[in-house]
Parts: sequence; C-alpha cells; structure tokens
Amino acid sequence: MTITVRAESITKTFNGSQKALDQVNLSVNHGEVLVVMGPSGSGKSTLIRTFNGLEAIDAGQLEIVGIPLDSDQDERQIRRIRRRVGMVFQQFNLFPHLSILDNITLAPIRVRKISKANAEERGRGLLAQMGIADQAMKYPSELSGGQQQRVAIARALAMDPELMLFDEPTSALDPERVKEVLDAMRRLAADGMTMIVVTHELGFAREVADRVLFMDAGRVVELTDSSTFFTQAKEERSRRFLNQMAH
Amino acid sequence: MTGSWTAYRKRLLQARRHPLQTVLSVVILALIAWVVWSTATWLVFGADWSVVSENLPLFAVGAYPENERWRPCLWLGLLCLMTATTLLQPLMSARWRISGLALSWCWLAMLPFGLLLLAGGAGLPTVSSRDWGGLTLTVLLTGFSGLLALPLGVLLALGRRSKLTLPRHLCRFYIDGMRAVPLIAVLFFGQLLLPLFLPVDIEINRVLRAVVAFALFAAAYVAEDVRGGLQAIPSTQLEAAAALGLGPWQIQQLVVLPQALRVAVPALTNQAIGLLQNTSLMAILGLVELLGISRSLLANPAYIGRHLETYIWLAGLYWLVCTAMALMARQLERQGPSASTSAIPS
Repeated sequence: MTITVRAESITKTFNGSQKALDQVNLSVNHGEVLVVMGPSGSGKSTLIRTFNGLEAIDAGQLEIVGIPLDSDQDERQIRRIRRRVGMVFQQFNLFPHLSILDNITLAPIRVRKISKANAEERGRGLLAQMGIADQAMKYPSELSGGQQQRVAIARALAMDPELMLFDEPTSALDPERVKEVLDAMRRLAADGMTMIVVTHELGFAREVADRVLFMDAGRVVELTDSSTFFTQAKEERSRRFLNQMAH
Repeated sequence: MTGSWTAYRKRLLQARRHPLQTVLSVVILALIAWVVWSTATWLVFGADWSVVSENLPLFAVGAYPENERWRPCLWLGLLCLMTATTLLQPLMSARWRISGLALSWCWLAMLPFGLLLLAGGAGLPTVSSRDWGGLTLTVLLTGFSGLLALPLGVLLALGRRSKLTLPRHLCRFYIDGMRAVPLIAVLFFGQLLLPLFLPVDIEINRVLRAVVAFALFAAAYVAEDVRGGLQAIPSTQLEAAAALGLGPWQIQQLVVLPQALRVAVPALTNQAIGLLQNTSLMAILGLVELLGISRSLLANPAYIGRHLETYIWLAGLYWLVCTAMALMARQLERQGPSASTSAIPS
C-alpha cells in the first residue's frame, strides 16, 4: 500500500516559544480518510498547512505524495507538491473577481497548461458533480456559503489531486448548509480520495473517517481507527473532549 | 419636487424663530441672484467671444500645418466618439453593447494611432512635434504619461512590498524622493537641464522628454495608490492561489492585481485628472498645449484684454474633459462583481 503522507517528528514553533507542533509522527495511506480533531489552538490547522507548504516546519521530515520536504523550504519542491495536493479553507477563499467557472479553470489552465476548452468542460463536470451546475457563470458573492464551499472543493478537484486537505470546511457555514458540503465530501471519500479533514463534525468523523487523530497542545494524543476512538478512546484527554462535544 | 420644496420652506422659513434670520436669508438670496444675473448678462452681452470663435482650430490643434489639420481633428473626433460610446454603454440594448475588454483595447489603441496621425509616417507627411499643440497635445501628453506611469507605478508598489531588502529599499527611496520634489522641478530638469548634460548631437524630442518626466513623477503617486489597493487584499487570497500551485508572479498577475487595481480605481482617477491639469505646466516650459496656445493668443495685439473670456473658455474645456474622465472611471468601478464580498469572513 502506498503512503501518501509521511511525517517524521515534525516540529513548529510560533513566536519563538509557543509550540504549535511538537514531534508529530504520522503516516496516511493512499485512499485513507483521516479526521483530525482537537480543541482550538491544538495545532490541527497548522499540521495540515505544513503538508502543502503554507507553513514551514522548523525540524523533522515530511514526505507528501512522494516528494520530500524539510525545514529549508525549497520553493520548487513546494510547488510540485501543491500541484498534486488540493486544499479547502474554512472561509472558502474563492477569487471574488472571477466567475465560478473561471475560479475552477484558473489553475488547470495556468499551472497544468490544459486548454481552456478542456478545462471548462471538466470544470462544468465538477460543478455538476457538486450539484451546482447552474451557477457556473455567477460570481462568488452571488452564492450562498454552502455553494461557495462546494465551488472551492470543485476548484481543488480540478487539479486532479492525489490528496485533499480540508481545514474546518464547515465551520463558517450556517447549520442548515453544513450538510450539503459534508455530503459532497462523503461522495468524495466513497470515490476513494485520500483525505485529511480537520473538523468538529463528530457525525462525519464517525461515519466517514478510517482513522482519527486527536491533538492537544501540538502533540498527538491519540491516533486510532474511528470506531475505537468513539467507543473506547484510550486517553483521558480524548474522552474528556468527546464528552464536551457530545453535550 | 413639491415634497422637497415643502421641506425647504419648512426648514428655511417656518422653523426660524428670529426675524433677523429671515431677513438675513432674503439678503443673501438677493445677493446671489444679483451675482448670477450680472455674470449671465456679461457672458451673453458684455463678453467678446471673438477670441474663442475665431481661433477654434488653434485651440484644438495649435500651430499644426493648415492642410494637415484633418489629422489631429480626426483623432479628437474619434476620441469624442469613443467617449460617447463608452458613456452610453449602460443605456444600450444588449445587442449593441460592446464588451468591456474590447472597449479597453480600443482605448489603448487610440494612443499609438493618435501618435501615428500626428507625427506622420506610413504614407502621411511627417510633422515635427514642434508644431503640435492645443487640446490635441494636452490629451496626448496626459494619455501617454498615464500609460507609462501605470505599469511603472504597479512595479514600484510590488517592489515596495517585496520580501527582498534591496528592491524594497530602492522602491521606497524612489517613491519618497519623487514625492519630495515639486513637479515643476522635474519638468525643468527634463526640458532645460537634460539637454545640457547630453552630447550636442543627441537630441531627444521635447514632447517625449515631457512625457517621460510626467510619467516618472506620476508613477510615485500611482505606486502609493496601488499599494493601498494591494493592502486591501486579504492574505487568504494569496494562500488560496498558492495552494493551487500558482507561482509568485502568477499570483500577483491573476489574483492580487486585478482585485487591487479595482480597489485603487477611485484614487487612480484622481491621479489621471491631476495629470491632465498638470500638463498645463508645460506652457511655462514652451510647449503650446491648451494653456500655452491661449497665452500666445493673448499676446496677440488683436486680443488685448480678452483674458477673462479666454480663461473661462479654458476652464470650460478642462471641466469637460475631466468630467468625461470621471464618468468613465465611475463606469469602470461599476463593472464586474462587487469586490471582496466572499473574501471577507462573514
């Protein structure tokens, strides 16, 4: 089985003292869905942001989709990784000056040098897959939050990534819009996409995740398969967190 | 109308508690009426507009050779047509509407086309830039200076925000330095001192020297306006673009600048209008643009004492061109989606 993400004792310090990541070890297999949970400030977002070079690590070794990455950030390595790793942000971060379709085709045309016609055909296909085919010519500000986030997923998928990173994709959404985004992610997981998802959605984690990574204060507290995590978490800290989330 | 009139009456008359205020209002209104009346009668009966009516071609094209005058006139006519087309776009039915992109290219093409018409070549007899003048020269100076200043200003703004120390400091030094120098000094340097430094046999066209001086000066101000626009773009936009694998230049070109320039449009319009009016400084330095040609007309004994008429006419012309520019800029602002709605966390 191929390994998509390998992290060996990676460490990241903010402002000289505060440890955002402390000796994190992790490996994620091809086709696996890993959910990362933990209280705010525990380093979840920082962790997945190191996987595509948005945050530099201070020490340790990363290997993402077969490309090594260490503390001296080589720009060319990072770009090679980013071409093959999609990311979805909490605030969608669509480009407000481009139409929905242009948002999706921008990177395929400019980075992968795919012809405009092909990119648009694929883009429309992805929008249909996300259930928003009729929104192609609108602008981001004309869409609801849930629709915007689905566009963001389509934009990432347009690069045919081997790995998808989700940074709290539903945290900025109205409760009734959360489901449409989670459903899209469920379908993606069912298609065999390798996914690392930072989320507070227990239902999604229980149902879709293969494994759960629980973090606190930059450390890995527990890394186990999801059924074990939700029924018989080993660590006291994880049980306390789950208890709080359930109430 | 009646509604607002009632409101006015209420505010102006009924709400007054003191009779002195009413008296004062009446006196001031009478004063305004007298000023308006006497100005209007002077404009219609008192003024002698022959200085304007007899010299319309001079105001338009300056000392351009008479049998070639159709060339600058054609250019001015085309510019008027383009302005009208641009301003009337929102009123047109979809069938007659021209895309913003095509329109922008047409505007851009007007500049080299105008230069070709004025200077000659390609079958037209050449006309020395010494003979260019009037409104044509004013518009030409403004257009080319602005065209050069914009990319230069964008580069300076990007350089000022660069992570590299040397370019950042160089750009800051240039911007701060240029803003510390008065425009007239830059123009003097270009027109009078530069020829002294250059070898005798090298002579750079005077119009070109003026354009370069204006562009170098305006670029510093444009850079600050663009920097303001750049700062309005949240860093999450850069992250999203970077995460897609776009390179640093692609990120600036495709994601950051299109948004930043749109934010900067009102400030850039300010610069463009300022630039148009600043071209009148060239009258002191010997170019016969709109103000220059007026000054030389007033020196003509036939038009002695016609200052007021000439300057009112000039003010009207400048006002007309500025208004057209402002209206077109407002249209540019309205184009496309309202920016940044999705970039700002809800």
